[in-house]
Amino acid sequence: MATEAAVTAQEALDQDNIIVARDVHKWFGNFHALRGVTTTVGRGEVVVVIGPSGSGKSTFIRTVNRLEQHQQGDIFVDGVEMTDDVRNIDAIRREVGMVFQSFNLFPHLTVMRNITLAPTKVRKTPMDEAEASALKLLERVGIPEQAEKYPGELSGGQQQRVAIARALAMNPKIMLFDEPTSALDPEMIKEVLEVMKELAASHQMTIVAITHELGFAREVADRIVMFDEGQIVEDLPPDEFFNNPRHERVRRFLSQIL
Amino acid sequence: MATAETWQPAPSLPPPRIETGWIGWARANLFGNWLSGLVTVVTVPLIVWAAWRMLGWLFGTADWTLIASRPQQYLIGLYPTELAWRPLTGWLLVSILFGMAAAMWGGAARRIAIGYGAVTVLLGVLPYGLFHEGVVMPWWVRAFILGNLLTLGIGYLLGMNPKTGRPRNFVLGGIAIYVLLLLILIGIPGVPGMEEVAPRRWGGLMLNLILAVSGIFFAFPIGVLLALGRRSNLPVVKVLCVVFIEVFRGVPLITLLFMSQVLVPLALPANFPVDSVTRAAIVITLFSAAYTAENIRGGLQGLHPGQAEAARALGLPGWQVTTLIQLPQAIRNVIPAIVGQFIALFKDTSLVYIVGMLDILEMGRSIVQGNVQFTDNGRENLIFVAAVFWIFTYTMSYVSRRIERNLGVGRR
Repeated sequence: MATEAAVTAQEALDQDNIIVARDVHKWFGNFHALRGVTTTVGRGEVVVVIGPSGSGKSTFIRTVNRLEQHQQGDIFVDGVEMTDDVRNIDAIRREVGMVFQSFNLFPHLTVMRNITLAPTKVRKTPMDEAEASALKLLERVGIPEQAEKYPGELSGGQQQRVAIARALAMNPKIMLFDEPTSALDPEMIKEVLEVMKELAASHQMTIVAITHELGFAREVADRIVMFDEGQIVEDLPPDEFFNNPRHERVRRFLSQIL
Repeated sequence: MATAETWQPAPSLPPPRIETGWIGWARANLFGNWLSGLVTVVTVPLIVWAAWRMLGWLFGTADWTLIASRPQQYLIGLYPTELAWRPLTGWLLVSILFGMAAAMWGGAARRIAIGYGAVTVLLGVLPYGLFHEGVVMPWWVRAFILGNLLTLGIGYLLGMNPKTGRPRNFVLGGIAIYVLLLLILIGIPGVPGMEEVAPRRWGGLMLNLILAVSGIFFAFPIGVLLALGRRSNLPVVKVLCVVFIEVFRGVPLITLLFMSQVLVPLALPANFPVDSVTRAAIVITLFSAAYTAENIRGGLQGLHPGQAEAARALGLPGWQVTTLIQLPQAIRNVIPAIVGQFIALFKDTSLVYIVGMLDILEMGRSIVQGNVQFTDNGRENLIFVAAVFWIFTYTMSYVSRRIERNLGVGRR
C-alpha cells in the first residue's frame, strides 16, 4: 500500500521525531489560520508554544490529533500520517492526550468514571484494573480523595488536574496542553503547573504545551516556539529565547505579556 | 511593619429578619401598596365565594351515582364483561413494575407505589352498594383488585434482590409485560377464554393508558434517532429526518388521526391487518417523536463543543462520543421539556374519540347520554374525568421534578 510505504520512508527519515509537520496550511473560511508551519518534535521533548491570540498556536496543536483538519502539507505523528482515514485518526488519538483550557470534564460522570471511561471503552481494560490505575493517577495529581465526586463539586484547579489524569490514563506518548491554566483563578495555577512540571521531569512522554507561564517555560521547556500570524516566528531553547531572540517580534510580545 | 498581625475574619451573622410570621408575609405580599391592597380586598371575597359554591356543589348538589355505578366502563370501555379478567390480569402484571421501581429507586418511586397501593385497596373494599342500590361488584373483581397488592409485593421482592433488581431487568421486564399485556388483551385464537377481542372494543382509561405508554415507549427512541439524524453529515439521512419532523410537527394531531385511517394502510402491504387502535397509536407515536426529536436536538445544541472534542481526543469512536457523552447530557438537560411533551401526549390520547374510539372522556359522555335519568350529569362526568387525567399528569410531572433533582439539572 502506498500509505504504508510512505510511512516507512518517513520513519527512516525521522526516527527520533514523534511529530513531524511539513508546510501545514489551514483555512477557516477565508481566514488563513496556518500559513506553512514546518517543525518537528523529538521523542521525550518538552516544547512550550507561545504567541498572541489568533496566532494559530492552538489550531496547530489541534491538528496534531486532528481535532482540526489541515488542508495542505503533511503531519506525521509517531510515524502515522494524519489523513481522513478514521483508523489512523483513532490510533493516533489513543497515543495523544489532550488537556483543554476549559477542562472539558464530563459533568455527568464521576471523577473516577471520567478517568476510566476511555481505557475501558477504547483499550478494553478491565474495570477493576482501570480503577486501580485511575486511583494511582489521582494520587499522582494529588487528589485521590475526590474520586467519587462529580466534576462540578471540584475547584477549577482540581478539575484541571483530573483532566490531566484522564488524559494520562490512556498512557499517551504525547501530551498536548492547550492553555491549561488560563481559565484558572490565580491561586490555583500553581497546583496545575506543579503537576505539569512533574510530568515534564519524568521524561516519560513528549509534551507540547501552549502556556504563557514563562516561569514554567524557562524551567522545563527544551524549546520555546512562538507563533504569530499563522507562522512560527521563533524556535529556540529558553535561555536564548528570553535573552537573545533573533526577532524583534519576540521581544515586543514578551514586553506585552510581562 | 515589625510583626505580622494575625488577621481575623469578621463573624458570619444570620440575615436580618424584618418580616415575621404570616402578618409580615401578608403585609409584604398582599398589602404592599394601596393598589395591591385594593386588589386583595376585592379578589379575596370573590375567591372565597367561588370556592364555597364549588365545594357546595361537589359535596351537596352533585350526584355521583352514575359514575360510581360504572367503574367497568370507565376503566375498560366496552371490553366484554365476561372477559374482564384479562385486563385485570394485565393490571396485576403492571403492578410488578411499580413494586420493582419502589424497591430499586425508593424516594418518589416508593411514594408513587404507596399511593397506587392505597388506591387499589380503596377500590377493592369500597362498598359500591352504598352509592347505588343494586350495584354490586363481583367478589372476583374485588379479589383481582386486591391481588395487585400481592403482585406489588412480588415486584418489591424482585427489586430488593440484588440479582434481579437491576435497571436492565426492569426495562426488559417492562417490555415483556407490555407485550404480554397486549397479547392478553387481544387474545389468542383457539384458546378457550382467550377469544379475540378486537381493539376497537378497547376503551376507557385502559385505552388512554395503552396509547400513552405505547406512544412514550416508542416516541422516545424514535425521537432520539430523528434528532441524531437531523444533525447527521449524511445529506440523505438529514433531509429525510428534517422532512419527517417538519411534516409531523406542522400538521394538527386531529388531522393526522383522520389521515391515519387512510394513510397508514397505504404504507403497509395490502390486507395487512392493522386495526384502528394500532393506527392511532402509530400516529400519536410519530407525532410525539417529532416533538421529542426537536427537544433532544435543542439539548444537543446546548452542549459545550468541548465535550465532544474531549471525548474524541481520548480516542472514543464517534458513536460512543454520541451515546456516552452527548446524549446523556443532552437528555438530562431537556427532561422538563420531554416530560411536558409526554404529558401533552397523554392528554392528547383523548382525541381518538374523533375516529370513533371510546376513551375515558368519550366513554363518560356516552354513559351520561345513554342514561335518561342522568342526562344532566355531564358536569359530574367531566369533573371526574378531569380529576383522573390530572392525577396521572401530576404524577408524571412529580416524577420529572424528582429525576431533575436527582440528576442535578442546573447544578452541574
